[in-house]
Amino acid sequence: MVIVPTPYELPQLPIGPGEHQSVPRLSRPAQGRYIGGVCAGLAEHLGLNVRHVRLAFVLGCFAGGAGIAAYLFLWALTPQSLETAVPRTQPVATGRPVNESLRNLVVGLVLLVVGGVLFAQQHGVNLRLGILLPLLTVAGGAVLAWSQLDDAERGKWLVRGGADRRAGLVSLGIGIALATVGIVVLATQGRGLAGLWDVGIAAVAVLAGAGLIAAPWGVRFWGDLRAEQAQRIRETERADIAGHLHDSVLQTLALIQRKAEDPAEVTRLARAQERELRGWLYAGPRGSQASLASAVTEVAHEVEDLHGTPIELVVTGDRPLDAGGSALVRALREALLNAVRHGAAPVSAYVEVGSELVEAFVRDHGPGFDLDAVPEDRFGVRQSILGRMSRHGGSAALRRLEHGTEVSLSLPVTAAESHPVAQPDSEGTR
Amino acid sequence: MTEPRSVQPAPIRLVLVDDHRMFRSGVKAELDESMVIVGEAGDVDAAIVVVAETRPDVVLLDVHLPGGNGNGGSDVISGSYGVTAESGEPVRFLALSVSDAAEDVIAVIRAGARGYVTKTINGSDLTTAIRRVADGDAVFSPRLAGFVLDAFGAAAGEVAVIDEELDRLSTREREVMRLIARGYQYKEVAKELFISIKTVETHVSSVLRKLQLSSRHELTAWAVGRRLL
Repeated sequence: MVIVPTPYELPQLPIGPGEHQSVPRLSRPAQGRYIGGVCAGLAEHLGLNVRHVRLAFVLGCFAGGAGIAAYLFLWALTPQSLETAVPRTQPVATGRPVNESLRNLVVGLVLLVVGGVLFAQQHGVNLRLGILLPLLTVAGGAVLAWSQLDDAERGKWLVRGGADRRAGLVSLGIGIALATVGIVVLATQGRGLAGLWDVGIAAVAVLAGAGLIAAPWGVRFWGDLRAEQAQRIRETERADIAGHLHDSVLQTLALIQRKAEDPAEVTRLARAQERELRGWLYAGPRGSQASLASAVTEVAHEVEDLHGTPIELVVTGDRPLDAGGSALVRALREALLNAVRHGAAPVSAYVEVGSELVEAFVRDHGPGFDLDAVPEDRFGVRQSILGRMSRHGGSAALRRLEHGTEVSLSLPVTAAESHPVAQPDSEGTR
Repeated sequence: MTEPRSVQPAPIRLVLVDDHRMFRSGVKAELDESMVIVGEAGDVDAAIVVVAETRPDVVLLDVHLPGGNGNGGSDVISGSYGVTAESGEPVRFLALSVSDAAEDVIAVIRAGARGYVTKTINGSDLTTAIRRVADGDAVFSPRLAGFVLDAFGAAAGEVAVIDEELDRLSTREREVMRLIARGYQYKEVAKELFISIKTVETHVSSVLRKLQLSSRHELTAWAVGRRLL
């Protein structure tokens, strides 16, 4: 690294008049920066023009590289500012496009290096260009690579992804390459290509040896870290579960104890709680709420809650809920209500959502009823099931089985789409 | 599922594996005298020992069990591999679960269980299911049938060209599964399709075989995740 005395030139900077106002803390702003935001931060802190500060740093580079050292020193020690502060002095470089930052970075570094070289040439022999140049290269590479560790840069990667991420990787790669070249040149001073080979082998050997010795520690450290993370996740989950159990299951158990003399109510409570807990435990991330399957499930649960009769619901396939689908769901609700009111448990419902046809079946095990024997006004069957389905291009059928009744609904998918909002389905069947 | 069966020559020998003592005693109270419980276990390791010692006809197996490799009922089945009942038939497993989570049920079926019923099943249905499994047939709940239709793409219209195809259901198998999903008993399925109950059982067993052997993505994806393959 560049070894330079203390950054004396900082106090040399002309002190501006704005200094005695409220002085912002020294920090590196995320915006309006060229390299690490040191100059911008410093200018803001001291109330100076950013350009002057930058110029001072560049000039400082010619004073034996002191500018570079000062810059690195400040970069390492100055925290990143949390708010995306814009330099208040002058509107230099606000809202700079992100893809420009990489170019600026490279240009700045090249300028720094050139400055160093010029300086070395001036003093010729003493400064040993052969050492200084590789050192500068290494420093440049390090800055380039480490800048990717910067919070702001990392944030940009994560948020924007794509091109910025690539740019970040490129600058990381360039940085590493620069540093490597610098180190190799430094190590092979005046020994030519053969020396390069020797040094390379030695370096690899040392690296391998160090890696071998450090590996177990590294692995253990990594393992510990992972274990700790897993532990923390588990604890969060446990707290989550405890909270949920308290809010739902314990409340229901308390209710059940108070209603112990009413078996129907107890069954209903237990069933509702079971369903809720199941939904919480096993439901993965489902699709949108407005899907046919979720609407069907909701309706089945609603009917179950109303009457306390368990409904064995099976749904296969799914599709978005459209007008036809809604009609089917309402007809299904009516069929389920009939089944739990007039049929006997077990009540089964099966909804199959195919690519061309949606079919639904509701069956109970009661004595069954004959549609023709049903008074016109009695059940919602005629209007709300048969009528509704046919209006949406589907059909409904009712059949008596040996044990119970089965209502089957079918709705062609194409028909469902061609009648978007044709029938608003306004008749209330409750 | 209460169709009369020919009188069993000997009672079916059962082992109950469930980590909830209350549930085990509940099941015991519900079974009739055609079954005798020869052993009980509350975790995977005890279950493997009990099964090997008692050599039952049927093991009633909870899907979620402590112990073993952490795979619950599946571990009991793989740990009891090769054990035969006193009759010489392989020991059969009927999975019992409170869980509707398809992956739990399919895991235990793919491990070798002959069927799956939920714990809310009533006593006579449970008896029928146990008999069926003891006879080497398969037991499907409506929900399992629905899952099968979904997993094999049958709900979306995929149908096997030849019956032997493992990754799809045949037309008849699909019809049987659909009727089971609609809540039909085997007897009703047979009547509906104008076939014998034996034929229904054959179809269901064939679906079970496909469920166990198929390499369809829907069936294997999570199995890989659970290190079952």
